[in-house]
Amino acid sequence: MKVIIVDDEPPARREMRRLLVEIPWMEIVGEAGSAAEAEALIEDLQPELIFLDIQMPGGSGFDLLSRLEHVPQVVFTTAHDEHAVHAFEVNALDYLLKPIDPRRLASTLDRVRSAGAIRAATGGSVLEQLFVRDGSRCWFVPLREVQLLTSEGNYVRISWGKVKPLLARNLAAIEQRLDPAQFFRANRRQIINLRFIESIEAGVNGRLHAQLRDGPEVEISRRQARLFKVLTSI
Amino acid sequence: MDASPDAVTRPPASRSYWLCQLGGWGLYSTLQFWAGALLMHLPWARLGIEVLVLNGIGLIFTHRLHAYIRAHNWRSFSLRSLVPRIAVASLLLALPLGLGSPFAWVSSLQSSESLIQELAPNTQLHFGPLIRVVHQWANWATLFALWQAIYFVALSIRRRRDAELRQSELTRSLQQAELRLLKAQLNPHFLFNALNTVRSLIADNPQVAQIVVTRFANTLRYALSAGQHEIVTLSKELEIVRDYLEIESLRFGDRLNVDYSVSEEAAAVGIPAMLLQTLVENAVKHGIAELPRGGRVKVGAVVRDGMLLLEVMNSRPADAVRAAEGTGLRNSAERLRLIFGPSASISLDLSQPDLAMANVRIPVGK
Repeated sequence: MKVIIVDDEPPARREMRRLLVEIPWMEIVGEAGSAAEAEALIEDLQPELIFLDIQMPGGSGFDLLSRLEHVPQVVFTTAHDEHAVHAFEVNALDYLLKPIDPRRLASTLDRVRSAGAIRAATGGSVLEQLFVRDGSRCWFVPLREVQLLTSEGNYVRISWGKVKPLLARNLAAIEQRLDPAQFFRANRRQIINLRFIESIEAGVNGRLHAQLRDGPEVEISRRQARLFKVLTSI
Repeated sequence: MDASPDAVTRPPASRSYWLCQLGGWGLYSTLQFWAGALLMHLPWARLGIEVLVLNGIGLIFTHRLHAYIRAHNWRSFSLRSLVPRIAVASLLLALPLGLGSPFAWVSSLQSSESLIQELAPNTQLHFGPLIRVVHQWANWATLFALWQAIYFVALSIRRRRDAELRQSELTRSLQQAELRLLKAQLNPHFLFNALNTVRSLIADNPQVAQIVVTRFANTLRYALSAGQHEIVTLSKELEIVRDYLEIESLRFGDRLNVDYSVSEEAAAVGIPAMLLQTLVENAVKHGIAELPRGGRVKVGAVVRDGMLLLEVMNSRPADAVRAAEGTGLRNSAERLRLIFGPSASISLDLSQPDLAMANVRIPVGK
């Protein structure tokens, strides 16, 4: 498993590395001392896991995540900011308090492994999760749980259960990286998750209406409806 | 009188007050009724009505008295000024009831005349109506005096209990405040990061790790022992600042550069403990820690015109918002003023985009 360590303090990075070197299935592919450095490194090396310090110069760990295209699995490391993890309600894989207790690290790595197994089963190089920061709250949003993505100007509203956070990207940019077997562009403004379609009804002028489970009815435009019929062979 | 603390914190009439009032008068009425019906064989219907009416009046009178006592703040009076007031109030309240007594049977219950007749039927006694009125007046007055005695005893018990409660609450909030101060002085962020540095150094460089542990112990001991009003010489505080910054340089590597320029004269001046340390910690936290390429912290001190001019300068990110620092600075300013008077001051100069400059002025020789 490819791992990157992000921490602004050299001794802290050395310590983390020393702890991880002992784990045979971990491959430390890089280290970064700031959010900016880490951003480039992550996009370049596409690690599966990062150990991420929260407080760093030139942008916090949260800032870094909200800028990333590919959000890997994240374990936060912090000396005293565990309350920040809670405050942001971030559903990170885990967080570790520095100095890191090797026993605590072992249980974190168990979690990483089981999450990795799930990932392997669902398989694939496509985008799996988004990191969304909306106001004072942050989430890792697993895409398979997203019903609907709606364009709102330069932002995208993500319908994820009861939570509907706003992501600072445009719809087209996200669409390119979505799994085409799972997500479908219904109209100019909306992308739907095919797994959430409950029923399809024919509308006027060759349009379709898709009723989403626990969600709204979404209109599939005429052009997209033809494509939809081909794809799903209705 | 609503401004009295009791009126503010309590509802107009508390539950325990009504419990005592109704319970007391109820018990008294029951006893009276029982005595009248069984001992004196009075017809129970009229007796019942009289007992209820008279004691109802007693209840209303004492309730008015309760309101009067609250309104005129009798609760704060000493026993000496309270006793005559109780006597006068008892006599005044009892007067109408005494005057009304000739029209009631119940009054005979309280009169010794009937009691004497009951116990010794052969005795020839006949009180005139005037004596009877006076007698009833005295009876009711005694009753009202007793009521007030119970009232003030109950009040003082409750007040003592409240005072104890308030005292313990005060103690608790004081302890919490002290704990918060201690936490702020210990700087947990630094604490745990330093421990992490030590853990790393134990493998990388055990000798340095040893040095860091002792430096760390020094700063910790100093922060723990420094009292809010303690004055130390600048040179003593500087020792701790040096220890602290050395640990931080290990954390930040070459990102942290430190300059000292302290004149000998300045080093001997007394400053509040932890003042410089707090400024330097802020310089690291809001300056160096926020700069990916690091920066410089400069500590300077000179004596000029009988004033110690202490300066902590640090690099800072140009776009930083420094709102959180306000309270810390305000606290320090407050402390300085308390110890050294109005000529002492502290200010933060952010006029340059990439520099922060904290300036402290303390009068020398105080």
